[in-house]
Amino acid sequence: MTVNGKNIRELQQKASEIRKVLLDMCCEARTGHVTSAFSSVEILVALYHGGILRYDPKNPSWEGRDRFIMSKGQASVLLYPILADVGYFPKEDIGGFCKAEGKFGVHLQHSVPGAEITSGSLGMGFGIATGIALAAKLNSELHMVYALLGDAECYEGSIWEAAMFANHNKLNNLVAIVDRNYLGVTNFTENMLQLEPLEEKWKSFGWNAVSIDGHSFEEILGVLKGVRSRQSSRPLVVIAKSVKGKGVSFMCDKPLWHGVPPTSEEDVHSAKAELQYL
Amino acid sequence: MEKISQRDAFWDRIYEIAKQDKDVVLVIADMGAPALDKFKIELSAQYIDVGIAEQQGVAVASGLVLSGKKAFVYAIAPFIALRCYEHTRVNLASMNLPVTLVGVGAGVSYDDSGPTHHAVDDLSVLRILPNLKIYNATDSVMAKAFADMSCKLDHPNYVRLDRKVLPTIYDKNTDFSTGITELASGSDVCIVATGNMVHRALHVSEDLKKNGIKAGVVDVYMFPINEDLFVNKVKDAAQIVTLEEHTLPGGLGSAVCEVLCDNQLLKPVKRIGMNFKTGYCYKYGGRDNIQSLYGLDKKSIVQAIMSQLKESYVCKK
Repeated sequence: MTVNGKNIRELQQKASEIRKVLLDMCCEARTGHVTSAFSSVEILVALYHGGILRYDPKNPSWEGRDRFIMSKGQASVLLYPILADVGYFPKEDIGGFCKAEGKFGVHLQHSVPGAEITSGSLGMGFGIATGIALAAKLNSELHMVYALLGDAECYEGSIWEAAMFANHNKLNNLVAIVDRNYLGVTNFTENMLQLEPLEEKWKSFGWNAVSIDGHSFEEILGVLKGVRSRQSSRPLVVIAKSVKGKGVSFMCDKPLWHGVPPTSEEDVHSAKAELQYL
Repeated sequence: MEKISQRDAFWDRIYEIAKQDKDVVLVIADMGAPALDKFKIELSAQYIDVGIAEQQGVAVASGLVLSGKKAFVYAIAPFIALRCYEHTRVNLASMNLPVTLVGVGAGVSYDDSGPTHHAVDDLSVLRILPNLKIYNATDSVMAKAFADMSCKLDHPNYVRLDRKVLPTIYDKNTDFSTGITELASGSDVCIVATGNMVHRALHVSEDLKKNGIKAGVVDVYMFPINEDLFVNKVKDAAQIVTLEEHTLPGGLGSAVCEVLCDNQLLKPVKRIGMNFKTGYCYKYGGRDNIQSLYGLDKKSIVQAIMSQLKESYVCKK
């Protein structure tokens, strides 16, 4: 399968590269939500490298750009290497992550080139995304709005206010991608407070909903490639089933790895060694 | 100018502006007004109802402004101030998005609706947010001017409107850009008031005059306070009394004390406002009754000021 000149293998290699940069960045800064970011890597690589998003790093405020809203703000550490990689800012800036001379921290701020919003408080970016999608309709603009949500972010009531609003206003230019890694901060979602049946919840709010493997480029691109011309007046939610910490086996599905990178020499070595062989 | 509510003065003007400027968009949390009814029919594409969901209102307005629109979010004052506070803090204050929040029901103007509907702590929590300005209307002329001013801002603001029809005290050509107007001069005491209490301050000033006390009145209708102008207006007064239909912690009185302190203009200050030490106001019988119970009626205020002046005089001796 070839997408935008890249085949699936190339996208997988890009995902692997991004994981390495992200891990180095967080290990050096000794902070950052590595596992939350790792579960979303394929989604963002597909968006930025798989021919889904329309953007122009030379003109970040281009009106025709698709908007990517990082509602799941704790995964911002994933966005920085991607934005640098596609040319929004020099790759050297990555080294400033969480440093005194740096330009960005754990959670996204709107001043980062390529970022649309300040993010970090859950349940808020998605509402903004509905406003941007509505404005596009009012202005007869054809760009799309993609919002990445954490699954545990769906506990916030404001998510459902926004979901109701998007359906009522027929915002078919809005795509929500829920990173369904089944983990919040301290617990698995279904143990903490049941989210399932999640797809049915979205459907009951009037959305087109589809569940996919969030680490499969074939499935991600399969659902997103035709989204711009799909025949529906409804917004679309993609529930991307994923593994929190994907790529480093000892960090996967472990609540204790939320919000922290490996810090011991042994853990850092193990994580890097494993990523080399992805 | 005919007697008109601040709400109608504001929205009538926004309606006129919106007819000429398609980028003006209202985000309504299930609220009504005559001008809004016209808006809904004639400018339906610019009228977005989010239902009773104030958080979503601020979020939608944020997205609209990020896309070049001029967005107004309208709800009852305590809800627009408090229910969606974090959306205001993160989306508007931290990103400096020029969304205008419009709240109706300043102070206890939703009197018998009870404390859920009283906007008696909104100034305290909103005035601390970076970038956000508060426009607290004194009369309908000012409210109308706020409509024009809000369309030209490059920062978020909160327009705070009284629910009741209050007398008009300002001329339609008044310049409200300074945030402060001296309505009466007097060297013994300067009464600094905001919102509906400005009207009360003027009446109190007249009563004090009958008792031989020269009382000035300064209307503060924008927060943060214009410090230089404020200091200039009150520097010659022997004492200051602040007057607000709002809780004392963090309100006008606190803001005035901060300005005086930061400018080392130290003089006796008495804060008159609502004291909720025993809890929020579960009192009914209309706004006048609630004001009397909280010492905000004219007679109580005159007595409080007389007592303050007397105590200070004794202390001095």
